[in-house]
Amino acid sequence: MIAQRPDRRSFLRSFVAGSSMMPALLRNLDAVPKSGDPLSIKNSHFPAKAKNVIFLFMTGGVSHVDTFDPKPKLKTDVGKEIKLDHPEIENRPGYEKIYLKAPQWEFSAHGQCGTEVSTLFPHVAQCVDDIALIRSMHTDHSNHYNATLGMHTGSFAFARPSLGSWVSYGLGTENRNLPSFITIAPKQTYAGTQVYASDFLPGAHQGTFLRPSKDPFKNISSILPQSRQELELAALQRLNERHLIARSGDAEAEARIKSFETAFGMQMEVPELFDFSKETNATHDLYGLKRGSTEGFAWQCLAARRLVERGVRFVELIDTGSSGNWDSHGNMMDHEKLARNVDQSIAGLLKDLKSRGMFEDTLLVWTTEFGRTPFNNKADAPGREHHNWAFSSWMAGAGVRPGIVYGSTDKYGVRPIKNPVHVHDFHATILHLLGLDHEKLTYRHDGRDYRLTDVYGNVVQGIMT
Amino acid sequence: MQTFAEKKLWSLEPINEIIPPKSSGDNWSLNPIDQFVISKLSIESLPPSPRAKRRSLIRRASYDLTGLPPNPETVAEFINDPSNNVTAFAKVIEKLLESVAYGEKWGRHWLDVVRYADTAGENSDHPVEDAWRYRNWVIEAFNSDKPYDQFVCEQLAGDILAKEKKGKEFADNITATGYLAIARRFGHDIDKRMYLTYEDAIDNLGKTFLGLSISCARCHDHKHDPITMQDYYALYGVLASSRLPFPGCEPKQQPRDLVPLVTAQVIKENEAWEKELKKLESDLITRPKEKLKKIAAENHRVLSRGHLPVGKSIDVTPDPIKIDIRKGEAIQISIAPNANYGADTTLIKLKIKHESDSGKLQWSTEDLLDNLIDANPLKSKDAIWCFLDIGSEGPRFLNKKTEAIDGQSTLKKWSPGDLPSVAVNMGKESVKVWTEIPPRSFFVHPGKESPVAVTWISPVSGKINIELKMSDGHAFGDGVIWRLEHFANQEIQSAYEKLAIDKLGLAKIEEHKNKRSLRKTAYAYAMAEGIPKDYPIHNRGDNKDLGVIVKRRFLSTLGGEALGNDLSSGRLDLANLIVDPKNPLTARVMVNRIWAWHFGQGIVETPNDFGTHGSAPTHPELLDYLASEFIQNSWSIKHMHRMIMSSATYQQSANSGQSPKKYAGFERRRLSAEELRDTILYVSGILDKLPGQGHPFPPRNKWNFTQHNPFADEYASSKRSIYLMRKRNQISTFFSLFDGPDPNASTASRSQTTVPSQALYFMNDPFFHDCAEQFASDILSIGPDQRLERACQQLFSRSATQTDHEDFEAFADVLAPIVSNDSEEQDTEIWRSYARILMSSNEFLYLD
Repeated sequence: MIAQRPDRRSFLRSFVAGSSMMPALLRNLDAVPKSGDPLSIKNSHFPAKAKNVIFLFMTGGVSHVDTFDPKPKLKTDVGKEIKLDHPEIENRPGYEKIYLKAPQWEFSAHGQCGTEVSTLFPHVAQCVDDIALIRSMHTDHSNHYNATLGMHTGSFAFARPSLGSWVSYGLGTENRNLPSFITIAPKQTYAGTQVYASDFLPGAHQGTFLRPSKDPFKNISSILPQSRQELELAALQRLNERHLIARSGDAEAEARIKSFETAFGMQMEVPELFDFSKETNATHDLYGLKRGSTEGFAWQCLAARRLVERGVRFVELIDTGSSGNWDSHGNMMDHEKLARNVDQSIAGLLKDLKSRGMFEDTLLVWTTEFGRTPFNNKADAPGREHHNWAFSSWMAGAGVRPGIVYGSTDKYGVRPIKNPVHVHDFHATILHLLGLDHEKLTYRHDGRDYRLTDVYGNVVQGIMT
Repeated sequence: MQTFAEKKLWSLEPINEIIPPKSSGDNWSLNPIDQFVISKLSIESLPPSPRAKRRSLIRRASYDLTGLPPNPETVAEFINDPSNNVTAFAKVIEKLLESVAYGEKWGRHWLDVVRYADTAGENSDHPVEDAWRYRNWVIEAFNSDKPYDQFVCEQLAGDILAKEKKGKEFADNITATGYLAIARRFGHDIDKRMYLTYEDAIDNLGKTFLGLSISCARCHDHKHDPITMQDYYALYGVLASSRLPFPGCEPKQQPRDLVPLVTAQVIKENEAWEKELKKLESDLITRPKEKLKKIAAENHRVLSRGHLPVGKSIDVTPDPIKIDIRKGEAIQISIAPNANYGADTTLIKLKIKHESDSGKLQWSTEDLLDNLIDANPLKSKDAIWCFLDIGSEGPRFLNKKTEAIDGQSTLKKWSPGDLPSVAVNMGKESVKVWTEIPPRSFFVHPGKESPVAVTWISPVSGKINIELKMSDGHAFGDGVIWRLEHFANQEIQSAYEKLAIDKLGLAKIEEHKNKRSLRKTAYAYAMAEGIPKDYPIHNRGDNKDLGVIVKRRFLSTLGGEALGNDLSSGRLDLANLIVDPKNPLTARVMVNRIWAWHFGQGIVETPNDFGTHGSAPTHPELLDYLASEFIQNSWSIKHMHRMIMSSATYQQSANSGQSPKKYAGFERRRLSAEELRDTILYVSGILDKLPGQGHPFPPRNKWNFTQHNPFADEYASSKRSIYLMRKRNQISTFFSLFDGPDPNASTASRSQTTVPSQALYFMNDPFFHDCAEQFASDILSIGPDQRLERACQQLFSRSATQTDHEDFEAFADVLAPIVSNDSEEQDTEIWRSYARILMSSNEFLYLD
């Protein structure tokens, strides 16, 4: 045994030497992170317009014809029978005949640009001059599970890395004390954890799922003095690396090593992050958030701004979960309370980003998994069915042409007739705004180069500045 | 009527009789499973993985079958077993299958699928007091290797099968229907939303037993599988013809329709027994109490009363009290706490003198010093002394004697167990207990709500002189209140005597209680038959828009046989059709589950969905071979474990979980939430291995759960995780953190996520730190040279390597000076740290 006692610093160095696993520890020792770190900042393929993304996902299927896609003909032709080879009526008893159903909310023009929005979104309507509204979205599947999976991963059937994971993989992240990708939702939605999973991408790119509460991260404060905890973590990583080497780089085990590093950083950063007490009353009012409350979408929106402010690359907010959502088969009036939950806080977020100068860097995306049928098996049926042929989404902020409407649907909102935008195109555009070429952002797995857009996708130039 | 364009669904084809393929030059296969696997591998020119090391294998097998790590001795035994690999491992499997922990692990798998919870869900999430009986039934069923067909039938129709049964079997059959009873409840008034509960039950039974999503057909014909709305409402009728228990909800707090676990005959016997019990209690306890109280109240005369201040002694009778008394009347001194209870030990000297023509007689508490605990009532010089609790539960004789208070043999007392008490120090020395008790003293101590009394029943008539001295025996608090009384009615003696048989009475009552093992009729949250009839279709799932009535029958695609009649719901018919060997789904679905729970992935990747939306089997012939094997071996689940685990396929070294789907082998996996918690408790010696029962829910009469104020208790326990109380509305933080099951939906397989919040658990969770410290203190109790070795054995089922020692020493050298200057303290802190490190490591958390 060597009698010489190593000091703490050299112990940390020797334990972490040659490893990419503990940059947070190393940084505390003023060392430089190694380039092999999966989350280190990477150059984009071309100059980026956006640095960060806030992705607002309205789960369950928002009716386009009742919100962002006005169809006056639906009103005048209400009750008219139409013939469609639609996936939701195929082989379905009681659906042998279908009739046009009138929208239940009035539309009017807003802003300088005059974009029409229904009374379901009065606050967002005030922001149309900043928004590029896409009325020609379409997707491949009319099941929640598949469509939700598709909107998040580009795959409608299989587990694949989520959009946020791809962005994290492509760009890395600025703040190493926080995860690169965070999803905040009151509960899980369709396809569960797959909407934020990294799948075959390195585990470091997995979304961190948080539920709104005063203390969304449990166990965030260290029980031990920092110096001792650092030593324990260094020794732990050493054990874990030996374990990993013997198992030829098992991805799960590697992701877990990574998770300790992130966790260590989170301890420093997180407690302040979710303390909204220093936000002004004006900010609270802007989002429609009651001081001290963690309820509803307002809390999620303000949290999203604070996360992006601190360098989180990709934040997704899901408004509800796999039940009690926009899936208004039974009664379209359910849309009212769901819209009320999100409308003011989305507009507040947009305005807040603008006033803080964050709008130049941040891409705000609003979408759902599919639209709802402009018809039903009775003209006066209270609900609408799933409609994957057409729906509306919008983007705003960094690199997005403000105050435009892109694409359109036919007179009844059944199918896009001009500039259709498929989910793959939507993804390609988001990546493009981040400076990433969707055809070049690939990952080799199982002997094949995978990408978010599979073999599809066209960047929608028309919505970009 | 719309006809469904029926597609050929592989899972509905009859199970084929398959002969395992033979590959030339196959010297790898150990049993038929391997022949299927190797033949598939050879098509792809893939070699099987090498055989796993014994150490990995026993750890894997132990977690797979019991959810707990093997102990180091078992590992050593296996590693040193000179038998060949196959034989040695077969022994390990047998041992594990015999342990109670096996049912606790595999029962948990089943509870995932049937979305077990201890609450009813929705608005108020009412507790379900008796759900645990079903949970324990499942555990027992796995442990006893109940044939799967029987396991299924009892869960669907145990109450009907029970009609032919008695005793435990009767109770167990009924309990099994807890499966249907735990279906989720919906809405504010759950009676009004039972159609949703039926849907939940149909949805679950479809997925669980048949691998079919039937409930999609509630609103429309199934879009992809051959299931129609007619099919759905044909099963709906079966559920609606049955009676589900009612758990309670916001407008109706109390449960109802629970099912007694004994036969009607036994209920009748229980009722008769209970009536007799009440009579005995009344005759032997209640009535004598009332009688004594009445006489005492009507004839009492207070001779003196007052407050004995703290630390004081008083002589109540510097001049003795002189009264006339008749034989059989009583004198009583009683002591009660003052305003504040505590430190109320009171020393008493009561002396009664009588002079008559025949001479002088004298009685005193001092006479009782040597014989106090001989009896109560205690006869002394023809007088009778009684020592009583006269509080709210009294009057009652203090009937438990203590021969040595606080281990002091000269201190003796009468009490009901604790307080109040009448006691003596019979010794010649003072004794220091809670206070200094003087030598040769007689003392009493009241309870908080129970004054204590010493009563003397006169053996004479005539004049008596009473002398009373008292002193505070414990100089704290605010003293006591005392009262000296005369009960001037001769009948009181017989009233005391009647009451005194209390002790005898208690014994008699106890004897009566012992006549029946179940003192009260126990109930289960279980099913009963309702009003059998057929129900109409709900058009588009709208329960107000009723369509044609559909006869109860089985799924048309599986034969469509009629279920039930005017007298029966049809649940038993349904159960029998589900387990009919001609039904191609049931055996396939279950063997696939067993396979998936062993390997991390099923032959069909979607164990709950054998429909068109589910995955196709990777090894269809193997699936059919296993299904036939299962049926032919009396549906024995343990047989399937033996078969799977004794295959070379299972015994390969672990796979990273990312290999092509055609591969079949053990995938490296993280411990499940339950395995992790149980292991942490187990290695730190905290785990209570005894089975759990019910939960300490608040008593029913206190229930007032609403949507704004739902049931939300949490109960700590050191039992295995399967016994923890699970709520539908709130998944506990720990279980949601480590991918525990969602009790609102059937969980066919657990997901395995890796997120920083899990790392934070190991870094900062107080419970984890406590357990690690406990583990450290056990390690510290052995010699320094063996510590790391022992830790590695316990946590990793292997020896410490040279590198392990080097790492440990490097760490210890750096940590030591930071934590203390004292070498013993340094040792403690080093091991506290290292226990956390080892128990946070991937080697601990992952199975190879």
